[in-house]
Amino acid sequence: MDVIFILQNTLRTATPVILAALGCLMTNHVGMMNIGVDGMMLIGAFSAVMGSWVGGSWLMGLAFALGFGLLLGLLYGVFVIKLRSDEFIIGVALNIFAGGVTTFLLRAITGQSGTFHAPGGDVSTIPQLSAPFLDNVPVLGQLLNNHTLLVYVSWVLVILCWVLIYRTPFGFALRAAGEHPKSLRSVGKSPEGMQFIASLMCGMLAALAGAHLSLGYLSTFSENMTNSRGFIAVACVIFGRSNPPMVFLAALLFGFIDALGMQLQDYGISSALTSIFPYVGTVLMMILVVLRSRAKSRRKASA
Amino acid sequence: MKKLLAMVLACALFLGLIPAMAEEVPSVAIVVAGTLGDRGFYDSSNAGRQALEADFGVRTTVVECKEDGSLYESSLINAAEEYDVVVPVGWQFWDYLEGVVADYPETKFIFIDNGLDGVGDNLMSIIYKQNEGSFLVGYIAAKMTKTGKIGVVGGEDAATINDFIVGYEAGAAYANPEVTVMKKYTDTYEDPARGKDAALSLYGSGCDIVFAVAGKTGEGVFEAAAETNNYAIGVDSDQKFINPDVILCSMIKRVDKSIYDVVADMEGKFQPGQIWSADMATGYVDVGYGTDEMPQQISDDLKAEVEDLKQKIIAGEIIVPTALN
Repeated sequence: MDVIFILQNTLRTATPVILAALGCLMTNHVGMMNIGVDGMMLIGAFSAVMGSWVGGSWLMGLAFALGFGLLLGLLYGVFVIKLRSDEFIIGVALNIFAGGVTTFLLRAITGQSGTFHAPGGDVSTIPQLSAPFLDNVPVLGQLLNNHTLLVYVSWVLVILCWVLIYRTPFGFALRAAGEHPKSLRSVGKSPEGMQFIASLMCGMLAALAGAHLSLGYLSTFSENMTNSRGFIAVACVIFGRSNPPMVFLAALLFGFIDALGMQLQDYGISSALTSIFPYVGTVLMMILVVLRSRAKSRRKASA
Repeated sequence: MKKLLAMVLACALFLGLIPAMAEEVPSVAIVVAGTLGDRGFYDSSNAGRQALEADFGVRTTVVECKEDGSLYESSLINAAEEYDVVVPVGWQFWDYLEGVVADYPETKFIFIDNGLDGVGDNLMSIIYKQNEGSFLVGYIAAKMTKTGKIGVVGGEDAATINDFIVGYEAGAAYANPEVTVMKKYTDTYEDPARGKDAALSLYGSGCDIVFAVAGKTGEGVFEAAAETNNYAIGVDSDQKFINPDVILCSMIKRVDKSIYDVVADMEGKFQPGQIWSADMATGYVDVGYGTDEMPQQISDDLKAEVEDLKQKIIAGEIIVPTALN
């Protein structure tokens, strides 16, 4: 069993989850659990490929994805914050809507179904980067080089999001909007406003996750290609307690379990069994979260 | 008054039935377990439908169940209510057909890709000797590999998929017993990213040719081949057009032709209660090399060897092992 493969595979599997989870944790901080990230990802994946195809450049694809992500964030915000609908129901609705609208638009715009195949060649994809000096470093070079741009962007975003949430006045306001809206209102800021901003950021980050999947890792859109990765992202957010570096680790852990499962097939372990590993991992993570928070509240009570 | 109304309605119904009975080629509903656009198995069945519609002007439809188990039974029932012939495409319908077939004795069912025998006298099954075609592409892969390792990505650990793999392994062993065959299952037919993960790990382990047997998940295998400068083998349709530079050849299952042939000649070809095994001898299973304009990586000599093997399989000199019982 080659450890390098498993680690490479871990990174590949984790990246879309990390980006989506960063979006999801934004809304989580303002007190909204957005389970619609999976749908947002799917629409992001679709619009990225369409943008790249129509605009002839991957930058156009990214712009399309971010634009539609913004629109989705707005939509989610209008329903959940403005119209006070239940966040779970809107999340579920968003996921169903995304599956339907991408399938419908793919057929309406291109006349193709299932998988998009650009007429007359390939779509422009997000370029791969590598640092030449790392090529000679045995393990690091193989691990860190030759990823698409968004992989590196996701790492930077993890740090940026952490700074934004925990080290800036904006971040304090963001968290206050979720934890104690009244105190935020008392200093003259609108909790609803912060919720809206979080919702927009969530839409953009989730769409970016989709763009990575369709235009970064692959070069095509295929119906339902997110394959529930958005839900894994939600689980990682809960496990990492909405703290970006912790969520990042949770996503890596999930990716690792998945990659390990793939490798274990070589040792005669049934794929039906290995493919449930990530989900078993998720359940175990959740149990851990509950036990930890229980222990904490017990400690508080005894103190 | 009521009686009159009932009689009028009955007449109307009867009149409505006459044109349906007068038609030589019946109306057809194709019900696929997954979604169209796999550029393989399901699309092939849809092509058969389109050909029937174009040639005979019959009423046809195609229903997609999107791998949603809750839709299998209701889609079959809806189709059976409205169409003379229902063609469930995909082994997934196995559990539901027995009940539906009994409930709609007037409707004819043609079950694709799995065999049910002795269920009603209005159902026939078509299975394909995918092991025979896979034997040939396994032979090609083993002859062309430079690393001595070839791989296969399967959609899931199920009998039909394993039938491809068993044939592929046998073909590789026939060409060169030294060649190692590695396999990965993705457990999904709809996730190209996972297909790419699986293929990258196979290429990373030293395989230089990977056979994709996983529907849309296989698209990721082709992308992995392009990225790592290796080769892949397509499945179900002649998929070389998707990326002629990396796809050597494809294992073809003529699902379209088999559906077309049976429906166009229901009197002669519809054998209720039977399982028809569409094989290489009858031309329903084959190897495709794309068109002449595409780059051909396989030498003419090797193609000639494959042609010889094909004749041997047809003549029964080579018996390809199978995973179906």
